[in-house]
Amino acid sequence: MKLKKIAALAATLAVALTGCAIDRSKPDASKPTIRIAYQTFPSGDLIVKNNKWLEEALPDYNIKWTKFDSGADVNTAFIAKQVDFGALGSSPVARGLSAPLNIPYQVAFILDVAGDNEALVARNGTGIGSVADLRGKRVATPFASTAHYSLLAALAQNGLSANDVQLVDLQPQAILAAWERGDIAAAYSWLPTLDQLEKSGKVLITSRELADKGKPTLDLAAVASSFAEDNPKVVDVWRQQQARALTEIKNDPDAAAKAIAAEIALSPDDVAQQLKKTVFLTPDQVASPEWLGTDGKPGNLAANLESASQFLADQKQIPAPAPLSVFQGALYTSGLPDALTR
Amino acid sequence: MFADVVPPSAADAPPGTSRDWRGPLTRAVLPLLSLIVFLLAWQGAAASGIWNETFVPYPSTVWRAFINVSTVHDGVRGYGGYLLWEHLYMTLRRVFAGVVIGVGLGVALGLVMGSIPWVRSVLEPWLTFLRALPPLAYFFLLVIWLGIDEAPKVTLLALAALPPAAVATTAAVVAAPVGLIEAARALGASRWDVVKDIVVPAALPETFTGIRLAVGMAYSSVVAAELFNGIPGVGGLVKDASNYNNTPVVLVGIFAIGISGLIIDGLLRGVERRAVPWRGKV
Repeated sequence: MKLKKIAALAATLAVALTGCAIDRSKPDASKPTIRIAYQTFPSGDLIVKNNKWLEEALPDYNIKWTKFDSGADVNTAFIAKQVDFGALGSSPVARGLSAPLNIPYQVAFILDVAGDNEALVARNGTGIGSVADLRGKRVATPFASTAHYSLLAALAQNGLSANDVQLVDLQPQAILAAWERGDIAAAYSWLPTLDQLEKSGKVLITSRELADKGKPTLDLAAVASSFAEDNPKVVDVWRQQQARALTEIKNDPDAAAKAIAAEIALSPDDVAQQLKKTVFLTPDQVASPEWLGTDGKPGNLAANLESASQFLADQKQIPAPAPLSVFQGALYTSGLPDALTR
Repeated sequence: MFADVVPPSAADAPPGTSRDWRGPLTRAVLPLLSLIVFLLAWQGAAASGIWNETFVPYPSTVWRAFINVSTVHDGVRGYGGYLLWEHLYMTLRRVFAGVVIGVGLGVALGLVMGSIPWVRSVLEPWLTFLRALPPLAYFFLLVIWLGIDEAPKVTLLALAALPPAAVATTAAVVAAPVGLIEAARALGASRWDVVKDIVVPAALPETFTGIRLAVGMAYSSVVAAELFNGIPGVGGLVKDASNYNNTPVVLVGIFAIGISGLIIDGLLRGVERRAVPWRGKV
């Protein structure tokens, strides 16, 4: 008797709770849904999301924004065909486009280029004055991130390999903790953690300098190939909104910072500082030969991705780097440069 | 969790019955058969092509990843500069240290809590609180307090192992037969004698179950414990490989954790049979 009652109660509760899931996006069943994977690094993506530009520009669609914590997770979502657009770093994109993943997606926009918002900092009191001094020291960075790629690129430029330093895999918050405790001598990290590190450390190299030396790291936006094929108009509208966000960052940085701050738990002032340190291309630059390129003429971004793929192969994370042609084919340049400015 | 609580006494059924060949046969053949069926189903699922290879890689791909992770190939040592057994060794070392500390403290706490009611009232809410916390929730605090080396990892594993051991021991001590205790006291046994000769032997079988659960808890917290600076370590290997969507290596890590878990549990059962031969027979 008692058992039956308990079972009945449990069943009722389970049914009741599944009915009460908290979900404020109420999809309209009559409209198709566009699924967007976003991440919380400051970028035009967050401006578009916060101002609901896509929802305004595409009233005939449901827009579903899903937050992801890493490029690897966005890749997984693409493989599972759960997202149509996704924001991810150049390193995960290179991983996704290389064998064995071979994710059918294309790079349709450049959200930002890492500048002074990512840097290698050495702690005061360690006597480290240059990258070359890092030999034998403990250096922390979040593995598989753009900072990891940049750190190894910086070491290689100074004649060091990953084996010449003690690399430690730490997420930014843990880097800060280990730094304060004196467990690490240097770290390659990004804002806002980077600000704290700079207070008691010396910047050895920033991602801006590495970009100038031909090793840029970028945040990209990818679109599933099948989706782009079926909905070229939607991709056009989406690109225009992304271009609009880039223009807003240039022309009205305060409004941009406010919109981004509303999406991530930071003050508008902090975001404004971060935006200043990050390199945001203009729409013209995005469609220039140096980056995405134009219709039929894929830009130099393909070479950057090839280099990132080579990096992954060196790390033994993929069997072999993918050839340049793969990355050229994976740049979505349809209608560029006009498609951005229309 | 790999601590099932089937009393091992079923294995030592009296010999001489006509069915005694069945026991060993069942025990040897059935697990093997289930393994073969599993591998076939896996191969079938991978070959069917319904799922992407990232989700369901071929058994042969995983086998190759296992070989790569276990050997020095093209001048590369295993994964992340360490061979699989080195990863496993570091993890087992951490688990061992964590379990020894956690179970030691847990059993001691359980004995005290079971024997002295007011201590139990004081400590039980804290223990329940700790038991309800997922290790990931407080691991970051351990990093701030204890750094990024072995200390936070071992502490996390110890914290995971402590509550099950303590709870099981408390319950076992409380359930010690009152009749025996009173009889012993009436015969003039001191409080210490009662604990040593009656409470501990009566509580041991259940305590052992608690220990096996504790080891399971610690083992299942391995990936969380090796989230930061976890290489060398199997948990760190799984986390790092998943950051690169490297499914075959993730599966190698999972198998390594699971199989070593089975072996450890088997060893614990062996120890249990020797230490508590009266289990299930009182």
